Amino acid sequence: MEREPGFTPVPRNLSFRVALLLALTLVIGIGFVGYVLYARGVFEATQRLTLVAENAEGVSVGMDLTYAGFPVGRVNRISLGEDGKARIDIAVPKVDARWLRATTIFTLERGIVGGAKLRAYTTNLQDAPLPDGAVRQILRGDATEEIPQMVATMRAILENLENVTGTGGSLQANLGNLRTITGRMAGRHGVLGGTLGNDEDAKKVIAVIERANALLASLAESAKKLDSVLAKTDQRVFGAGGVMDETQKAAQQANAILTEVRESLKRVDTILSNAQTVSENARAATTDLQALRAEVDASIRKVGQLIDEINRKWPFERKTDIKLP
Amino acid sequence: MGLLDPALLWLAAWGRAVRFAGIALAAALSPSTYRARTRDVALKQIYFTAWQILPGFVLFAAVFSLIVIRISVTAAREYGLAQYALEIVLRTLVLELIPLVTALFVALRSGAAIATEVALMQSSGEIRRMQEEGEDPVVLEFVPRVAAAAVSVLSLTVVSCGVALVLAYYAMYGFSPWGAQEYTRTIALVFDMAALGGFTLKCMLFGAAVAVIPIAAGLHATERVKSVPVAVLGGMVRLFFALGAIEVAALAVKYV
Repeated sequence: MEREPGFTPVPRNLSFRVALLLALTLVIGIGFVGYVLYARGVFEATQRLTLVAENAEGVSVGMDLTYAGFPVGRVNRISLGEDGKARIDIAVPKVDARWLRATTIFTLERGIVGGAKLRAYTTNLQDAPLPDGAVRQILRGDATEEIPQMVATMRAILENLENVTGTGGSLQANLGNLRTITGRMAGRHGVLGGTLGNDEDAKKVIAVIERANALLASLAESAKKLDSVLAKTDQRVFGAGGVMDETQKAAQQANAILTEVRESLKRVDTILSNAQTVSENARAATTDLQALRAEVDASIRKVGQLIDEINRKWPFERKTDIKLP
Repeated sequence: MGLLDPALLWLAAWGRAVRFAGIALAAALSPSTYRARTRDVALKQIYFTAWQILPGFVLFAAVFSLIVIRISVTAAREYGLAQYALEIVLRTLVLELIPLVTALFVALRSGAAIATEVALMQSSGEIRRMQEEGEDPVVLEFVPRVAAAAVSVLSLTVVSCGVALVLAYYAMYGFSPWGAQEYTRTIALVFDMAALGGFTLKCMLFGAAVAVIPIAAGLHATERVKSVPVAVLGGMVRLFFALGAIEVAALAVKYV
């Protein structure tokens, strides 16, 4: 083309050069597209993970899910579910899925500067692996979200503080009341006056205490009188020549009588023994004598029991056993 | 009417450009356009538009990229946002600045040349002669140029972006291979399918504008030689305006 600038002649291998340029362009272009596809994980086997969040603000498609600072997954899709919660679909390459376990916790964190961050925390790598298509709740940590709430709360607290400490505030009133109370405490009736609020009531309380003291004094008198009555009763019942003394004497006499009876019976027993020895040859007679002796023995036992009983009822004689021959 | 005249002329000029774009597109889609003669024209146009300037332009793009990358990375690190440095570089430099700079470069070098050439063809009556001989100048001369310009812009953009990507890696991580994983991740983040499609479409539009608008302007020249500079001037202004409009529209679609 002679119309083209004359000083740049068209080379003979024009087609080759142009083809070379186009080939270079195609190689770079196709190579780059392939690289992008590889980078986007098209050639990787992935598993799906769905994170459910109250609010997916700051999350964008293509964002990384990191574990220990390393990306292990990429956000594929963000949608608003039927339940009004954001669903974040994440593609996790199978190679990196081993870092995610059934017990893994997922968080969405937003700092004051920079974008949101999706993080995974696995405490035990021996747990069961995260299944494909798992749906997990996401925990949110948001530094900026808390600030307005914090400011509101703080303002309320400061207002309250201002109301409490301000003129006419409750703290002032309380301090005034405290001053009144301490003033009364320093007065005639002291703490009682401070507690009861006025002198009249304090006086009443003091009067009540005085009456109680008088009552206690008269009670002490009554107790003394009761004591003397009791002493006299003791004298009459248990004293020398008292009721108890007489009874004791009667019992001692009965005891002496019964002892004598026992001695007599012992003697009878001795006689009967002798008689038994004498008439050993006459068996028939002996049998009768044995029966008689058994009766006598029974009588002695009864008497002994009687003595025991008396002794038990009137325990002056300590020796209760009766010795039989 | 005196006030309205320039506006009407301006509108008429845009109308001619759009009309020519339609005719060129129709011709490009008809199989009869593809023959040995048009292929020759296209090859020559690619050779002059892309191949001839390739070494110089790649060097220019490399220096330009390196400076922009250094500024972005240093600024990001100073603000403690180093993790976003690469993303910023890729988004601004590779997706926006390099295509625009390439288109401007080609417009300045080849757009002006094409406009002048067509204006001279019009002025010398060559186009009229071709039409009288029954040849269609649109098919024979213009469509191959438009296609070649589009391919050239795309080709130069792709090569310079490739250089910029390598330089971005070097600026971020040096010659260490251990940044590859993070780099790959950032690439995946920035270049989703929409970004790649938009990038290709934008480059094609840049390339088409670089040829279509100057040719349409050149065709408006008359047989008087003095009309040539006026036509070229108007064409170049409209071309720069169009390139800016395409860039702004692309940004608006992406970020607004």
